[in-house]
Amino acid sequence: MSDELLVVRCQLGERDAFAELVRGWHPAVERYVGRMLGGSDDDVVQEVWLAVFRGLPRLRRSDRFAPWLFTIARRAVMNRLRDAYARPEPAPITDIPDRDRDLPDDDEADGVIDRQLLAGALAALPAREREVLLLFHLEDLPLDACAQVCAVPVGTVKSRLNRARALLRQELLRKGYQA
Amino acid sequence: MTPDEVLARLDAPLSLRRRVGYVILAFAGLTGSALISLLWATEPGLPLRTKVAFAILIAIGMGWTAFGGWVVTRRTPLFARDRVVAGWLGVGAWLAFALGALAITLPRHGINLSLLGIMVTLGVLAAVNLQTARRARVTLVRRRTELARDNSTTVLTHLRQAEDTDRE
Repeated sequence: MSDELLVVRCQLGERDAFAELVRGWHPAVERYVGRMLGGSDDDVVQEVWLAVFRGLPRLRRSDRFAPWLFTIARRAVMNRLRDAYARPEPAPITDIPDRDRDLPDDDEADGVIDRQLLAGALAALPAREREVLLLFHLEDLPLDACAQVCAVPVGTVKSRLNRARALLRQELLRKGYQA
Repeated sequence: MTPDEVLARLDAPLSLRRRVGYVILAFAGLTGSALISLLWATEPGLPLRTKVAFAILIAIGMGWTAFGGWVVTRRTPLFARDRVVAGWLGVGAWLAFALGALAITLPRHGINLSLLGIMVTLGVLAAVNLQTARRARVTLVRRRTELARDNSTTVLTHLRQAEDTDRE
């Protein structure tokens, strides 16, 4: 069953549809919160689902559930990571090879970033860079959805992705992995 | 935490009975306060202690109204079906108020035009609210039907494609 259909059924007040929605999306929410906070946090996950439940009747675009859900999850995470988000945006990294500055949907770049390695090294990245990597590579959200979740233009998402990849590469190399 | 644990923790806000209960509470408080106010306004020469008692009862009623309203707007929002139920409860509350108001005013003061105006206005508000809730629900039900049909079509297409592949 599509997410949009589930959302509409939830908006009608069908309790079993909400249960199905939670069962379908809970792993993604738990993964995102856990990776962003460096460990699982049941209170934050619970806070996210409560906010989803409260906000569902007001969700206009039922076909845009995933970005909306991650926007809520991001807000809950931001409340926990307020200090990390408060730091100024760093300057773009310019001394990276051209291929790292390609668009994020580049196949070669996708090949370089193995999901498991990415997950392991994420904890070392700053919050902004970590979240775009999570949303784009682990949750497979398109660029415009990532931009909506992070409340920034698509260009900023791309530059954060490039910076995140460079930082991740440095982190992986530091840990002894071969890119 | 498993999805079932999440759902168990959300059990209270997910309960339809509880949400409707808060709506009933809000309307009961509002109707009670309105009728007591009307009694106070139309009854001349009330002793001070009766006025104080009325004031306290009105405050209690408005307190329940504020609490119920806060819960159903901030804590456990109303979904489309709940809104229709709340709409009918609103009509019921208006009816109770109208009958009570007529019972209080008619025997002593006859028909009061300003009160009649208030009753008609409240009745129109209740009817419009109910109609809006019903229309919103119908829109969502229609959308659900469309999406369910699209879903079935997609599944059937995939099944046919799988059968064609098997034959090849």
